[in-house]
Amino acid sequence: MKRRWNWHLWAGFLLCVAAFVSYLFVFAKFPVTRDIPWVNFLLFAVGVALLVVGLQRAFGQPQQYRGKISGPILGAFSLLVLVFFCYVIFHMTKQLPPPSAALRVGQKAPEFVLPDTNNNPVALSSLLSSPMPGLQTPPKGVLLIFYRGYW
Amino acid sequence: MSRNLCAKAGYTYTFLSDPNAEVIRRYDILHRAAGPNGQDIARPAEYLLDASGTIRWLNLTEDYRVRARPEQIIEQAKALQ
Repeated sequence: MKRRWNWHLWAGFLLCVAAFVSYLFVFAKFPVTRDIPWVNFLLFAVGVALLVVGLQRAFGQPQQYRGKISGPILGAFSLLVLVFFCYVIFHMTKQLPPPSAALRVGQKAPEFVLPDTNNNPVALSSLLSSPMPGLQTPPKGVLLIFYRGYW
Repeated sequence: MSRNLCAKAGYTYTFLSDPNAEVIRRYDILHRAAGPNGQDIARPAEYLLDASGTIRWLNLTEDYRVRARPEQIIEQAKALQ
């Protein structure tokens, strides 16, 4: 008797890969799915569940289902992807120097002059004192955002 | 590069460049050798200043995936006189 294709194994494996890749290209773009990557963990959970079913079939009903060789390989790769994802989320992105106490609430922000996108020098003091385009009064405040590379 | 980035992302606010990380050092938020080619870059940080240039709120995240959210900053900004 010809044994049936064990699709659960492949679907589980592909879902685990998709769970990882979709974080980088989709879910990391939105704070609600980035800060705690719940969508991706959900995808991993479904992927692992499919793999478990596939492995049970491969080893429990080997006369009916294939996958005694491919199953453990796909399972191991999927686990590797999951472990790496957890490493990135719980360890890698937390690798920052200890926060400095050099500047605190209540202190004056140090003055600076830096070039803008048209290479014109811009001083913090001028941002604080000059009105925004179309307004008459200077701003009530300035928000400084330091990016880490692109985001 | 930051000009292209701004155009692509649609940022219309003042976007400054600190290629030698001078100001990043002055604010003591340098992350040494953390850039893609081992450059010194900034740890992500947000500072809200009032009209006198005094820091009224700041956020130094401990996970660079997690930044201050816009609504969080707006709420702080509303408290400025």
